[in-house]
Amino acid sequence: MGSLRVFWRGLLDENPVFRLLLGMCPILAVSTAAINGLGMGLAATAVLVASNILISLLRSIIPDKIRIPCYIVIIATFVTMVDLLMEAFVPGLHGVLGIFIPLIVVNCIILQRAEAFASKNGVFLSAIDGIGMGLGFTLALIILASIREVLGAGTFFGLTLMPAAFEPMKLMVSPPGAFIGLGLIIGLINYVQNLREVRRRA
Amino acid sequence: MAKSFTGGIHPPYRKVATAVPIGFLSAPKILAIPLLQHIGKECHPLVAVGERVLMGQEIGGVGDSLAAPVHASVSGVVVAIEPRPHINGRLIKSIIIENDFLDEKHPSVVPRPQVDNLTREELVALIRAMGVVGMGGGGFPTYAKLQGKSAQKIDTVLLNGAECEPYLSADHRIMVEFPDEVIYGLRCLMKASGAGAGHIGVEENKPDALAAMRLAAAPYRDITVTSLAVKYPQGAELQLIHSCLGKDVPPGKLPFHVGVVVNNVHTAQAIARSMTTGMPSVERVITVGGECVTAPGNVWVRIGTTFADVLAERGLTCAPYKLISGGPLMGMTMYTPEVAVTKCTSGILALSRQESGTPVAGACVRCANCVDVCPMFLQPTTLAHYAMKGRTEEAEAIGALDCRECGPCAYVCPAGIPLVQWIRLVKSDIYARQTR
Amino acid sequence: MEIKKFAVSSSPHLHSGATVRQAMILVMLALAPAALFAVFHFGMYVVAILLTGVLSAVLAEVAILHFLKKPLATVFDGSATLTGLLLAMNVPAGAPLWMVAIGSFLALAIGKHVFGGLGYNPFNPALVGRAILVASWPAHMTAWVGSGLMTSATPLALSRAGESLPPYSDLLFGFKAGSIGEVAVLLLFVGGVFLIYKKIIDWKIPFFYIGTVALMTWALPARGQVGYFAGDPLFHVLSGGLMFGAFFMATDWVTTPVTKLGRVIMGLGAGLITAVIRLYGGLPEGVTFAILIMNALTPLIDRYTMGRRFGVR
Repeated sequence: MGSLRVFWRGLLDENPVFRLLLGMCPILAVSTAAINGLGMGLAATAVLVASNILISLLRSIIPDKIRIPCYIVIIATFVTMVDLLMEAFVPGLHGVLGIFIPLIVVNCIILQRAEAFASKNGVFLSAIDGIGMGLGFTLALIILASIREVLGAGTFFGLTLMPAAFEPMKLMVSPPGAFIGLGLIIGLINYVQNLREVRRRA
Repeated sequence: MAKSFTGGIHPPYRKVATAVPIGFLSAPKILAIPLLQHIGKECHPLVAVGERVLMGQEIGGVGDSLAAPVHASVSGVVVAIEPRPHINGRLIKSIIIENDFLDEKHPSVVPRPQVDNLTREELVALIRAMGVVGMGGGGFPTYAKLQGKSAQKIDTVLLNGAECEPYLSADHRIMVEFPDEVIYGLRCLMKASGAGAGHIGVEENKPDALAAMRLAAAPYRDITVTSLAVKYPQGAELQLIHSCLGKDVPPGKLPFHVGVVVNNVHTAQAIARSMTTGMPSVERVITVGGECVTAPGNVWVRIGTTFADVLAERGLTCAPYKLISGGPLMGMTMYTPEVAVTKCTSGILALSRQESGTPVAGACVRCANCVDVCPMFLQPTTLAHYAMKGRTEEAEAIGALDCRECGPCAYVCPAGIPLVQWIRLVKSDIYARQTR
Repeated sequence: MEIKKFAVSSSPHLHSGATVRQAMILVMLALAPAALFAVFHFGMYVVAILLTGVLSAVLAEVAILHFLKKPLATVFDGSATLTGLLLAMNVPAGAPLWMVAIGSFLALAIGKHVFGGLGYNPFNPALVGRAILVASWPAHMTAWVGSGLMTSATPLALSRAGESLPPYSDLLFGFKAGSIGEVAVLLLFVGGVFLIYKKIIDWKIPFFYIGTVALMTWALPARGQVGYFAGDPLFHVLSGGLMFGAFFMATDWVTTPVTKLGRVIMGLGAGLITAVIRLYGGLPEGVTFAILIMNALTPLIDRYTMGRRFGVR
């Protein structure tokens, strides 16, 4: 499979959040503001790319029966590195994201890519897959977080977007709003996909 | 105190001519007598084209299978033996007779012995030979109900005088005009089934019929007459047994499992008539009704008369929207008026669009009106939902086969959903799976 | 006689003439007295709120059905209008019109259409709209006003704070603070009985709902109080959204059980949750969430209360 194809697939066709429905927990919790979404997405992408590369390099050595614990160890190592780096260089963001940084270890996306791709493909392709999936995750986070932030706080990346008369819809920055927002986005994407399928078949 | 059951509806009854004596429809020139007028095997013709037949002659014979013989309802010449449209929707072989208007009786038509002078076996054989079938619409050969299967003993014969469907009033007039025949027929049925008790259920909107039956039954201590609450479907077998006798037939079982045989009052009257005159089942009373009929009412009709002939004589004021054999809630729509009146036709209804238009179906709003009215305690909305999604096993598990297709659910549905049709669909799927 | 064309269809061939729209109109008729009282008590602004609720609901229905390419038939069956009216009657009398409009729209979009439209929604759409409004603009949704739009505390809030309560007659006739639809308790009761008489709603749900709340608030002490069987059930029955919820929201056809026993359970469950929230919960009123929770349990209740089949002992 061409590397460009791998990249686009991770970003759009098989977007881990909107199409594969993975990584729901951090998405819902962290997408209260666009900057948080971006930060989380990039942190997860870094971990994903690094772990994909290393797992791909070691794929012929890791015994099949204990592969999951091995992947977790590798992923946890990179998560710890990212956690410490963020604490040092972006302490504000680190504080906001809190527990969800260490929880990247059990983010389904990373484990799923390790299991389904990195353990079966070469280093270069695994890296591209990591970048594609990671950016797809980031894209999803930014989309949802933007909507939630604009409607729920009136700002976008911290800049006040809405007029003073606008009363923010507090539901959107709380958990129910996350579920409803994500559900509606996925519904819309499915609806558009169905229309394209129907048109393609016709 | 009128007895009743749980559930049911109160549709507008529209029973005209309940106070008018039964009229006589003149026999037509051509009659088409179907060889299948019952549940069971089709009869085989015993006559040939060109042969002259006499009234009461057996023209359709039976072997040992479940069937009742068919007799000529007029004297005349057989002009054809061919398939004709039948009320069951198919084309059924029928004996076409050209009436010579002489009504010459066959020599076998002689009065039979009194019921007290016949043994049970002789009585059952006689009922079979007279071609008697369930005249309430069921068409089950009556002799078979009386034979008693396995070790289950019959203790009560219950006559259905409820006539709960709108428009129909034939049974009402029979009870008023021939009460003694009804009682005699009941006594024949009691002896033939070995039952010790006889019972007649009549809805209380027929006070004259109730009075007549009570008077006629008075000399017999083993016959009881019960007044029933006016509700549809009071005349449905299971509900009738529940209201009159307080017994409930378990799911999947028949009335004889609780020791009961149910027959229509017209069937009882027909048995009595056949026994006293010797004439087999060749004519019956039907109700002609509906807004489009000029002269609605009850008439004696010869078996084999087409619906077209009946409507021609009673007159049509407008083209009917629906032509129905039976009652408006459980009857079947006909696609042609050239079908013949059989032994189990209880009525001919020519309904206008106002009378019988059904609404366009919408989405179910879960109002549960259907659940509240179902006399079999089912959930029609859930059954229809399973039918729509093809979930056959789940429908069977919640009792789809208990459904009697009586109609109150679809009658009350505010969304206009054809519930009975959906349930029929899933029932046929269940039966198809069972026979596979 | 020439062969005519007859309509051939499955039995039955008679219909009662009942329609969904008839039922919706009757419910709106039953709500009318309480709505009119609200106009009298709170002021003419209530008319604007009610109109906004209804109009936004109908426009939302048209827009959504158009977007989903579905037939527009259900716009005219009264269900959208009723949802809009109920939503509007669930907000305080001083609520901003834009909030009511958004609430109506979301009630229909998220409360009804994402699930498949009429008949498929598991939750009461008006209550979904209300819950979204409460979560989105809590300040507006708790800005309770009394007569003439004067800021005032609701009886339940006063009870929580331990302050003196209005007399029972005021609670009964509606001279108190609260949402537009909930204040006129007596008129709501009359409307509810009318619907029961017309066989639109089942008496079991309001009876068991109100009965359970009365029983529990009488028997159990509120948080911070002591003593059993010393409560004030009359106060609780006449306060808050109980009468409104029990007769008009908990009885919504689509979201409540279809079986007789199921309806009893619905009433008992909603009453239990309402009473617990009122006595021990963080909110002064529990009707909205009690009904929504019982809505979620309805499919389960239906499955397990199917009842015996005919002829089975």
